[in-house]
Amino acid sequence: MRWHRITAMLWNYYYNTINSADRLFDIFYWPLLDLFIWGFMTHFIQGISDVNILSMILGGIILWVFLWRSSQDVAVYVLENFWSRNVYHLFASPLTIKELAVSLFIMGAIRSVLSFFTVSLVSFALYQFNIFTFNFFHVGLFVSILLIFAWALGLLVTSFIFRYGTRVQVLGWSTIWIIQPFSCVFYPLSALPSWAAKIAIILPTTHVFEGLRASLSNQPLHYFSLFYSFVFSLLFFILCAWILSAAVHKAKRRGSLGKPE
Amino acid sequence: MIDAKNIVKTFPLKRGKVKAVNNVSLRVRKGEIFGLLGVNGAGKSTLINILSGLTYPDSGVINLFGKDLYQHEEDCKKRFNVATPYYDLNRSITGRENLLVYAKLYGVKNPKEKIKALTDKFMLSSRLNIPTRHLSSGERTRLVMVKSLLNDPELLFLDECTVGLDPDMAEIARDHIIQFNKETKCTIIFTSHYMQEVERLCHRIAFMDQGKIVKIGTGKDLVQELNWQDVHLHFSKHIDRAKELLTAEHISFQQQQNYLVFQVQNRQNVLYPLLQKFVQKNIIFNDLQVNKPTLEDYFLRRSRKR
Repeated sequence: MRWHRITAMLWNYYYNTINSADRLFDIFYWPLLDLFIWGFMTHFIQGISDVNILSMILGGIILWVFLWRSSQDVAVYVLENFWSRNVYHLFASPLTIKELAVSLFIMGAIRSVLSFFTVSLVSFALYQFNIFTFNFFHVGLFVSILLIFAWALGLLVTSFIFRYGTRVQVLGWSTIWIIQPFSCVFYPLSALPSWAAKIAIILPTTHVFEGLRASLSNQPLHYFSLFYSFVFSLLFFILCAWILSAAVHKAKRRGSLGKPE
Repeated sequence: MIDAKNIVKTFPLKRGKVKAVNNVSLRVRKGEIFGLLGVNGAGKSTLINILSGLTYPDSGVINLFGKDLYQHEEDCKKRFNVATPYYDLNRSITGRENLLVYAKLYGVKNPKEKIKALTDKFMLSSRLNIPTRHLSSGERTRLVMVKSLLNDPELLFLDECTVGLDPDMAEIARDHIIQFNKETKCTIIFTSHYMQEVERLCHRIAFMDQGKIVKIGTGKDLVQELNWQDVHLHFSKHIDRAKELLTAEHISFQQQQNYLVFQVQNRQNVLYPLLQKFVQKNIIFNDLQVNKPTLEDYFLRRSRKR
């Protein structure tokens, strides 16, 4: 793996971002829109409820941003290269699939951090909710698990794009939202019907958001659940990396990298 | 430089399969400009994609720079480059940004100077700060050509790279290819549908048909296979009598206004006696042109044989 090729791709994504309103909107507009809608609604509910619901929702939104941005960015930046047919030139260059993946992870993480800080600052300004008063170790743990899981999902979607081309580009934006209802971002696991809870309990994201709520209510964390989430995310990441490698291999076998769609 | 043996590539169709490359073996020497000719679908681009590591063959061995391409893919890819007008660089960003990204990818030293020198040569410097999507197709092709020269490649794949260029720019591109080849001894694999371009640039040419290389040689070698010449005779009168004579001699011809056009295989034994007969019968012609076959004739003949 060569660092200069990873930085070349990071420059590519940077240029893409500053030249594209879509990519800039992804960082600031959608997360802030989420924060406003959910924040104001929760602010209203807070007035008629005893539970510290505002912190729970805002904490959920701020952590969700990590998962959402990182996962979506991995897929969307690959799609950008498919749309321009630039994939041909990239794959004829010495860039390896590992270098491409690492550059996507770094870009996803940088954009998530930007969204995270924007949303955190605005939620403090509007709702006096300060995520930085949390236990840093807990936040670090939550973010690490979410990042690994997000990257894995991004790799999985990217694999489908390499395998089926831009016909499946909708997955780039939609996949992450499939898991949101089961991840218990804004409500506890106990709020789900039993069939949904069975799915939710498998997802590592559920345990992270459950942990967040426990942390907000000053209750002890279930470290075993978080350990399970970390291991699950890591194994899922390794599996998705393997699937991506197989998808690129298959694309080269099918000759689809050298054929216009 | 390139040593490819028994390359086979099959693509599935809705019904059955097609052999895009059918047991092709190829050796290209260092410093050679090697042309690939053939009709659309003959397998040229697939062969280039295989040689540049973009498509895996079903079977066969490819050595580039004395190394197995698939075992030393990264090493080989540092030393070659590709240009084709059919694949753009990133359309969302400017030409300069694209070139900077690729210069970094190839580890080019002094990328800004390199980009300036190349874009000056291809008359693209003033268009570098415009998003690539707003460039004309010819400008995008030139941008891809500049990209392909950034790493001073030892091997260059140019797949129909003059398509979409105006005649003046195409000439500049051809001159630059020849100059680059002479100065750096870069091996070039070149495909084009402009036969004169192929004749001018390529040291050797392979003609591909239905995935196979059916002939390899210099332009002259290929054309020599055609042992006929086109004869154009111009008549201001007597054209009907000339047609009768040609028919009597069993020579098929076409009439193009006041010209009769036919082919002869041998000047000495066929054309000269025929002309004598015209004179003997007092059939007067005003002009005579005998055209030797060109690479284009070879191409047409080969492609029509299909």
